[in-house]
Amino acid sequence: MNKKQISKVLNSGAFYLLVVLIFIYLAFPFYWAINSSLKSEAQLQMTPATLVPEHPVDNSFSPTLQNYKAVFRNKKFARGLLNSAVVAISTTTLALLIGSFAAFALGKLRFRGKSASLYLILAMTMFPQVAVLTGLYAVIRTLGVSAIPGMILSYMLFTLPFTVWVMTAFFRSLPISLLQSAQVDGATPFQSFYLILLPLTAPALVTTGLLAFIAAWNEYLFALTFTSIEPTARTVPVVIALFTGEIAHQEPFGEIMAAAVIVTIPLILLVFVFQKKIVAGLTAGAVKG
Amino acid sequence: MIRREAEIVKYEARLAYTLLIPSFVILVVLAFYPLASVFVNSFTNKIFASATKADYVGFKNYGKLLSLTVKELPPVIDEGSGQPVVDQESGKIIFERPIKVLPREPRRYKEVLQFDFFGKRLVLGATDRAFIYAAFDTITFTVVSVIIEVILGLGIAIVLNSRFKGRGLMRAVMLIPWAIPTAVSSRMWAWMFASTRVGFINVFLQMLGLGNGQVAFITSDAYQLWVMVAIDVWKTTPFMALLLLAGLQLIPQEMYEAGRVDGASKLRQFRSLTLPLLKPTIAIALVFRTLDALRVFDVFQIVLAQKRYSLASFIYYQLIDNQAMGYSSAASVIVFILIFLFALLYIKAIGGANSNE
Repeated sequence: MNKKQISKVLNSGAFYLLVVLIFIYLAFPFYWAINSSLKSEAQLQMTPATLVPEHPVDNSFSPTLQNYKAVFRNKKFARGLLNSAVVAISTTTLALLIGSFAAFALGKLRFRGKSASLYLILAMTMFPQVAVLTGLYAVIRTLGVSAIPGMILSYMLFTLPFTVWVMTAFFRSLPISLLQSAQVDGATPFQSFYLILLPLTAPALVTTGLLAFIAAWNEYLFALTFTSIEPTARTVPVVIALFTGEIAHQEPFGEIMAAAVIVTIPLILLVFVFQKKIVAGLTAGAVKG
Repeated sequence: MIRREAEIVKYEARLAYTLLIPSFVILVVLAFYPLASVFVNSFTNKIFASATKADYVGFKNYGKLLSLTVKELPPVIDEGSGQPVVDQESGKIIFERPIKVLPREPRRYKEVLQFDFFGKRLVLGATDRAFIYAAFDTITFTVVSVIIEVILGLGIAIVLNSRFKGRGLMRAVMLIPWAIPTAVSSRMWAWMFASTRVGFINVFLQMLGLGNGQVAFITSDAYQLWVMVAIDVWKTTPFMALLLLAGLQLIPQEMYEAGRVDGASKLRQFRSLTLPLLKPTIAIALVFRTLDALRVFDVFQIVLAQKRYSLASFIYYQLIDNQAMGYSSAASVIVFILIFLFALLYIKAIGGANSNE
C-alpha cells in the first residue's frame, strides 16, 4: 500500500467510527431501557449498573420477564394504550378530513381572502399551546364533553394547521389540467375533488397522517391537564409519567422501563417502515421556506 | 360560455368558503376564544374548578409576577470598631442579609440573586421568585439547547450527507429519539441520571475518572438545568440534523466540483459554500426550535416536577395545584407575548437577511 491508500483507509476508518459514535449516542438510551426492563429489582440496585442483566452472585447473564408480566397485568397501562389508540386514530382522521377540505380550497380554488387565510393557519403552527391551556380547559368544560373527546378536539390545535400546510402545497403541485378536463366532462368542483384529487393525494395523506398520529400519541400537556379529574381517560404518556408500583413509596423502575419499551416499539416499527415518508413530511415546510 | 365561466367562478368561491368553515370554526374555538378568555381571566382572581365568583383585580396578577427591585446590601458593621466585618477565612466583607433591605410592603420581595456592581453589593428581589427563576431558566435552557442542537445537528447532517453503507439504517435510527414520547424518554433519562451508581451516567463518568459516582444530577441545583438540556439535545438534535440534511441535499453537487477544481480545501468549501447556501434552512430550523424550546413542559414536569419550573410547568402547577386560574392566566399572557416577540424578532431578522442577498 502506498501513502495515499493508507490515508484513504484511515480516513474511511475515522468516518465509520464517527458514524458508529452517532449511532450509539442515538440508540443507547433505548438500549438502556431494554436492559433495565429485563432486570429484577435486585439487579437494578446493583452497583455499578451492568450493561446486561447479570446474576448478582455469579455474574452470569440472567434476564427476567417479570417486569413485562407485571406491566401487562397492570389495568391502568392497558387502559392507557386503548385510550391513546382511540385518541390518536380519531385525531388523525379528523385532522385529515377537515384539513384536506381546507387545503383543497387553499391549493386549487379561486376566492378572495386566500392568502390571508393561509397565513392565519400558518401562524397557528407557532401558537404556544401552553398559553391557552387554562382557556382551553374552560372551553372543554363549557362544551360539557368528557376528557377523551376533549383531547381529540384540542389536538386539532396542533395537527390541523400542519395538515393544512402540507396538503395545500401538495394540492398546488397537482396539474390544473386534471381539474379542467373533469369540468369539461361536466363534473362539479366537489366531484372532481373526491373523484380525482383525493385518490391522487393518498401519498400526502399517509405522510401527514403519520405525523399527526405520532404527535397525538405523544402529546402530554393537554392529556395530563384534561385527565386530572378523570384518571380513567389517561393516555399512555400520562400513565407512564405517573407510573407507581404496588408499593407506593418505591418507584418500580424495571416496570417503568418495560412500559417504555412496549410503547416505543410500535413507534420504532412505524419509523422503520415509513422512514422516507416521515422525513419528507418533516422537512416539507422547512426547506421550501 | 362566458356566463358558464362566471358561474363556475362563483361556485368555486362558495365551495372554498364552505370547505374552510370547519377549519376556521375549530381555530376560533380552540385558539382565539381560549386566548381571549385567558386574557380576560388574567385580570381576575378566578379560582380554577370552583363556583366562586371571580373579581376584577386589575393588574395585580401581573404586578405580583413581574415586580422586581434592586437594592444595595450594606456591609455588616462591627459595633465595636465601626468597621465592616470581614470573614476570617476568605478575607471577604460580610454583607447584611437581603431580607433586611428588601421591601415588605405592599408585597414582600424575596432574594433572586446577589451581584457586585462597581464595588457595591446589590441584591435583586422579586415578589414571585419562582416565576422569575422559571423565566430565567427557560430562556437559558432555550439558548443553550438550541445552540448545541444546531452545531451537533449540522455535524451529523454533514456526516450523513456522504454516501456510505448503512445510510438508510442511520436515517431510521435518527427518527427514534424524535418518535419516542417525551414523557417516556424523560423517564428513561431520569433513570440513567440516577444519583448513585445504579444510574448509567454516574457509572460512565466514574469510568472516565469524573465524579465520585454519587452525583445527584436531578436534585442538585447546579446540574438540573443541564440535565434538561442533555435530554432535549438527545431528543431534538436528530430532528435538526434531518432538516439540515434536507437542506444540504438541495445544494447542487456541481458547485462542490467547481470548488474542487479551484483547489478549495474541505474547510474552505464548508465555509464559503455549504454554510451560506444552508443559511435559510438553518434560520428556519432555528425559529421552529426556539419557539418550541420556549414552551418546554414535558421534561421539566416529569423529571423535576416542582423542584424547578419552566414557564410552562409554572403555569401548569399554578392552575392545577394552586387552582389559581387568574394568576396562571396572567403568566400565560406573559409567555404568549414573550414567544410572540421572539417570533417577530426572527421574522425581521430572516426578512432582513433575505433582502440583503
